[in-house]
Amino acid sequence: MSSAWVVFRKELRETLRDRRTLTVMVVIPILLYPLLLIASEQFALLGIRRIESEASQVAVSGPASEDLLDFLASDEDLELLDVPDPVEAIRSDFVGAVVVFGPRPAADATQSVTVLYDAADERSQRARAVVARALGSWDDTLLARRLVERGLPSGFAEPLAVADSSVARAEELGGYTLGRFLPLLLIVMTLLGTFYPAIDMAAGEKERGTLETLLTAPVPARQIVVGKFLAVALIGVVAAGLNLASMLLTFQTGLFQLGGSLDIDFALPWGSVLIIFATLIPLAVLFGSLFLGIALRSRSFKEAQTALTPVYLLVMVPALLPVFPGIGFTVALAAVPVAGLGIFFRELMAGSPALAPSMVAVVTTALWAWAALAFASDSFGREDVLFGAGDARVESGGGLRERLRRLLGPVSSTPSTAQAIGFIAAVAVLFFYMGFPLQAGWGERGLLLSEWLLLLIPAFLFVRIGGFDFSETFSFRRPGGPQVAGALLLVSGAMPLGWFLAWAQGFVLPVPWDMLEGLEDLITAESPSRLLWLLALLALTPAICEEAVFRGVLLSGIRGRASVVRVAVFNGLVFGAFHISFESAFRFLPTAWLGFILAWAVLSTRSIWVGVLMHFVNNGSIVLIASVPALRAWLEDGGEAPPWVLLAPALLALLVGVRLLGGEAVAARGMPDTADSL
Amino acid sequence: MIEFQDLTKTYGRLRAVEGLSLRVEPGEVYALLGPNGAGKTTALRCLATLQAPTSGTALVGDADVRERPLVVRARIGFLAASMGLYERLTPVELLQYFGRLHSMEGSALDGRVAELVRVFGITPFASQRCGTLSTGQAQRVSVARALIHDPPALILDEPTMGLDVLSGEVIYRFIEAERERGKAILFSTHHMAEVQLLADRVGVLSGGRLVAEGTPASLIERTGEPNLARAFLALVQDVTPEEPA
Repeated sequence: MSSAWVVFRKELRETLRDRRTLTVMVVIPILLYPLLLIASEQFALLGIRRIESEASQVAVSGPASEDLLDFLASDEDLELLDVPDPVEAIRSDFVGAVVVFGPRPAADATQSVTVLYDAADERSQRARAVVARALGSWDDTLLARRLVERGLPSGFAEPLAVADSSVARAEELGGYTLGRFLPLLLIVMTLLGTFYPAIDMAAGEKERGTLETLLTAPVPARQIVVGKFLAVALIGVVAAGLNLASMLLTFQTGLFQLGGSLDIDFALPWGSVLIIFATLIPLAVLFGSLFLGIALRSRSFKEAQTALTPVYLLVMVPALLPVFPGIGFTVALAAVPVAGLGIFFRELMAGSPALAPSMVAVVTTALWAWAALAFASDSFGREDVLFGAGDARVESGGGLRERLRRLLGPVSSTPSTAQAIGFIAAVAVLFFYMGFPLQAGWGERGLLLSEWLLLLIPAFLFVRIGGFDFSETFSFRRPGGPQVAGALLLVSGAMPLGWFLAWAQGFVLPVPWDMLEGLEDLITAESPSRLLWLLALLALTPAICEEAVFRGVLLSGIRGRASVVRVAVFNGLVFGAFHISFESAFRFLPTAWLGFILAWAVLSTRSIWVGVLMHFVNNGSIVLIASVPALRAWLEDGGEAPPWVLLAPALLALLVGVRLLGGEAVAARGMPDTADSL
Repeated sequence: MIEFQDLTKTYGRLRAVEGLSLRVEPGEVYALLGPNGAGKTTALRCLATLQAPTSGTALVGDADVRERPLVVRARIGFLAASMGLYERLTPVELLQYFGRLHSMEGSALDGRVAELVRVFGITPFASQRCGTLSTGQAQRVSVARALIHDPPALILDEPTMGLDVLSGEVIYRFIEAERERGKAILFSTHHMAEVQLLADRVGVLSGGRLVAEGTPASLIERTGEPNLARAFLALVQDVTPEEPA
């Protein structure tokens, strides 16, 4: 029997004995949802019926004709009252609405009528609707009378009789309605279904001390991970499947009818249900593996819950996308994790999923799941993840001074991962509260100050106060000639590719052209002195200050925690995230790409000067391109798309640059893979 | 049977274990003594392949922890300081689970589980969930779990921690019985009485280093102290523990 199968069966057995999981997996979908839906609908209907059964109390103000007043008074749904102050009468709930008539017009002219009501009060809304119906009816009567008096046909005042009629079949309408909320529900339930089991199987096992015992069994760590993630994924899929079934049955039994006013059939074709169920599997694997990998890094169930909650909330963002109006099913969106599959579900329920994005959504979800599984697998094989950085008894204890020293001071010559990330978080907060106001108030001088004061100086203070080694933390190593050449080639290839990335991103994220035009003015120099100033401000300053923070402190903290590429990717993502704001989300991908390239080059050469040089060249080139009209004209010749002629040389330069620098790539120096490499 | 060869384990600049070399022969009980933070647990974890030695190595028989970890794991029964029981499984289910992880199946597994349940007096609570067991009951299940595959070497990290006298006695009897069966047993402890009762040889760890080794009697004699507890104190006080740099 395969060890993964043994682990899977045991995890499943244990999980099924856990009340928390059973509640989320079975009780909520099977009992709570139908009950909640039906109860909420019944309560809503009860309230509406009660309001509708009562006559709406309405007051009249201004010069209304006696005929109209008699007409209103004869309406069974209306009760006319006198009020001295119309607005106060509505606010105090004395009446639901007040009809205010304007001055009496000349014969056959229009009299203005305003209906005052309280939009935040259901009774008042009902009174408004009843009054509007009555007034509309009176309007029709009056019009008909006038036409008869003049011997005009009824069509005189209504040349077109417009009516609409939906051609959607009842099942299509049902699918469309389900598609608006069921994808979100399925994703959330898969998420919830995997949440607790993943924590229990990772952090819970650590907390109970069973992980140590388990890892002394003669089983490769990967088999244990596979067994665990299979169990988590199955639980997630079953939870989501039960939700799907429960929801569909609730609708189909007719107990819940969305008010019962529409002709809707909530029966999804069996084929669609099966496809949804099958594609939930990679989604469950994605969530399960991601949660397992993160939960393993926590020491206790509680700590894992705290660590996973932001991840949970983050996942909710793409899960909400299918709900928003105007979100189409494009190939680019289909590739977005979670969102792609959510939109695919929506389209499938509506009955018309396009083939290409559907394939992309399913395949990319499987790829994301594979990446998450690799992440979980990697976590399981690392002793620093499983047992921390040492024996807790050695690391803990001591007086307050000792604890502070441990908190601030180094155990080694470079910051730990937590210290480095903590520093970046602190700098981000500093930049948000001080940097943006500085830039908003002082413009270019503010930008200069924010870079030097809020990035470079804190980085040096952090290393100084922490007692870390300056040379090692900032990688102050002089690069060799071939490395400089490689770096220049690398960045000259990476820049156009970054442009292509930004262009491709434009298909998903709208490009704020107004903002870009403003930015263009900022980086365009009309005189040599202005050009020098812009190069100092926008190229040299970030090259020094941002490199010190991101390729200095951050990189030294994460270097060796994973492979060079993974570390560079993480560094790039943080760098990209640091550069986005509400208006500039489009900057994320190109900036992250630049950050990745810079980090890879610095890791490969162990020299921050390579990063400084590449950063300067990248930013300086943008300033030069913006300031040299001929160059700019040539590059903008193709409109919004980058010149395709750049693609081949860019790739070539990138490859040669990688080749020149990659020969000296520094191997990851992390903890050995405990379970598998020993 | 069990051998540490100049094993060093560091965390950053902290040397948890430094140059540890010792040997435990088949049929021998070896006690690892040391104050908190001396490196006992780290050394045992390295031997159990849970942690990678920074340098040097450890062997169980001819299997090196660095090169053949799965073979090492198949040859050891590891009892962690935390009992390591799954709260929602019964003792029988737990034993079966670990038996299967050691590639045991069918009647061989059922027979071994039944034998251990009987030997360790687990029968009265065999179908109770482990989460409901008392400390003594849980420790008996834990020991049975470590023995499910009848390993030739046993690594026990503070096996009597938190146990009352009666439960401790069960563990003592078990260790003696396993020694009679020719097992190599390495255990860490803070209890001098059980060292004197069980150990053929003792190794004293302090600051990650093995500062003394010998029979309990030889350590008492070497220090000139009246008993093992005094001898231990004298030995660890002679060594200034290395502070983390």
